[in-house]
Amino acid sequence: MLALTLALLLASASGETFPICFDPGNGLLLGAGPALQGGAVTPELQAGILLRTEWKSRSKGTPWLNTHRLFVTRVRSGTARLGLTATLYEGNLRRHLEEGFILVPTARPVRIPFPFDLTLAMRLGHYERRVWEGPGWTLETGRAALLLDPVRATTARVWLGVGPAASHALRSSREGMVHELSPFTTLLLDAGYETENGWWAARVTALAGWVVGLDGGMRFRTREEVVLERLLIAVNDQPVWLRLSAAHAHADAGGSRMDEWSAGLGLTVRVWSAR
Amino acid sequence: MMTAVLLALLLSQAGGPEAPSESAAPASTVTFAPAPSPLPSLLYRGAIWCASLGPSPQVPSGRYRLQCDTSTRRCLAVPQNELEADGTESERPLERTSSCQELPQGELRQLLADGYTFVPAIAEAPPGWYRDERGRVMQFNFDLHRRVWLGGAWAPLWRTGEPRALSRGRLDFGIIAEVPDGERMMRRFTVLDTELILGEQSSLDATLFRYDTNVRQDKPPIRVTTFLGKPRRWDFNFDMGAWLEVLRLEMLRRGGLDHIFYTLISGHLTLDLWHSRDLASYVRVRAGPSLEYDRTNSTFALIPGAAAEGNITLDSNGFHHVTFGAEVEKLLLDMRVEGRPHHPERLRVRAGYELILLAINDQPLSLVLEGRGQWRTDLLDERPVWEWSANTGLRFSLWAPARRSAPLAAAR
Repeated sequence: MLALTLALLLASASGETFPICFDPGNGLLLGAGPALQGGAVTPELQAGILLRTEWKSRSKGTPWLNTHRLFVTRVRSGTARLGLTATLYEGNLRRHLEEGFILVPTARPVRIPFPFDLTLAMRLGHYERRVWEGPGWTLETGRAALLLDPVRATTARVWLGVGPAASHALRSSREGMVHELSPFTTLLLDAGYETENGWWAARVTALAGWVVGLDGGMRFRTREEVVLERLLIAVNDQPVWLRLSAAHAHADAGGSRMDEWSAGLGLTVRVWSAR
Repeated sequence: MMTAVLLALLLSQAGGPEAPSESAAPASTVTFAPAPSPLPSLLYRGAIWCASLGPSPQVPSGRYRLQCDTSTRRCLAVPQNELEADGTESERPLERTSSCQELPQGELRQLLADGYTFVPAIAEAPPGWYRDERGRVMQFNFDLHRRVWLGGAWAPLWRTGEPRALSRGRLDFGIIAEVPDGERMMRRFTVLDTELILGEQSSLDATLFRYDTNVRQDKPPIRVTTFLGKPRRWDFNFDMGAWLEVLRLEMLRRGGLDHIFYTLISGHLTLDLWHSRDLASYVRVRAGPSLEYDRTNSTFALIPGAAAEGNITLDSNGFHHVTFGAEVEKLLLDMRVEGRPHHPERLRVRAGYELILLAINDQPLSLVLEGRGQWRTDLLDERPVWEWSANTGLRFSLWAPARRSAPLAAAR
């Protein structure tokens, strides 16, 4: 315990301790930096609440490793790419088992090894408004995915989930509003790695699959995003990371479902994220 | 095969370790009896001791859980950790065991002096859970009235006088919780009960919140005594409860037109015709009004409705479920709309069966078979015909703890 305390806190020259370990999955998120989208560079601001929890299921007696992201909002200013992206809630809830298995309920139950953790990945209320495109917006009301995690880490800071996702979205444009549904016809990948001290953090999310309109028409689309962060400094014990990101959308960006590349470079602060 | 290996390994402990002189070590030589087949289990609610019987190649920690029976002078002994596939002790402690009390070495010496035999066994498992020979515990009893479910199904549709619609799929989602209030009331909460049908004749049926109760009356309100022959008393129970629905959305695409109905609120009184002892299963009738807004025709309606329905769990482990229902509704106080009769009516029937096929990491995966029919006159420019749907699919349930009435594994 003493060694752990020493590892988390160091003493300054004046003898005061200061934190050197942070949790990138916790804290009040604030970020700023330039973003490149469609050949235009615009300033981007980011804010949100990150919360990482761990609790033991009463009914199953096994731990749930959860990462919640609330009200994560990105605003791009400038007339060229003025826009807003906001997510009410996004969460990864992973139930970790020492030894996963499939139970076949014969008279004498058979236990078949199943080397995966199960993750419930949810996203509620994801809204996007692109002012430069004119009237219109996109609202993903909900997305739920069941992911298999072969890494089965005992901590929430390492995860790799792949599995089918179902979603419903509304896409409003000049032509009107359409419903888009993905009845588990989308494959979602969500992977992340954060070092134990939180100095490095990386996250990859990708989805590919078909959405169906209420008119029965099907459409293929993909989305990918990579984020890499490196801790640079801490100001008054509040850590500041350098954030590098890249994203791509195929037939899914904006009201007209365009292909799109974007990239960002900025600084992010996670207030109250010291371990 | 696995059992044979484990038995052989456990048997090889016979003649057990010599006792070191330290007080923390076993006081005396513990000789294990040959392992019976199948291995006996410790009783979940019985007194359990924890003791050091001395390390061995198979159980290096030497730590065991003991349950002793004075009448047979027998102690069932289980290593405190799970076993690996080769029968040696792992570092994973047994999960979901009851607490144990440390057995003093003096007591252990006394047991040995009294001639107690030590028999290899399997650790106890709580109600609804099963433990295998390696000590790994798994849930064998599921309460599907407490779960978060996510499912998909093939849902072909037949409409009288029209070609069959085979390219239809159903997606369903919901959260249900049951909370008993003493032994006489069961409260049931259902949130986001959603059913989406894609493909031909698509539809969406989603209910934000539903609350219903099943009640067992303390005293029968009507008692009839007959005096023909020996006087006999006949008790008539009126187990009445409540059923409430808030914000239901029903969207149907029929004849190329979207029909959208918002049921703002529904309140019914229920009368149980039968319910199980734990009030989890029931057959009942219910009736009451609903307030609905027809967005397609921009009209409100008051809807008296009545239903007979059942939800029955057939087995104690919760693997087999039967549901059924018939519901009738009539729209009143609605505006006259051209293209459909005034005061239209709806009739719906359904019957379903859900069977748990297997469990993945203690989360059940079930097969769902369901048949439905409906006849309605409220759809604009749509001739009223019977339409039948047969749904076949799978449902994955999160949460789903063991049923409150779950038996012990030994009682199965």
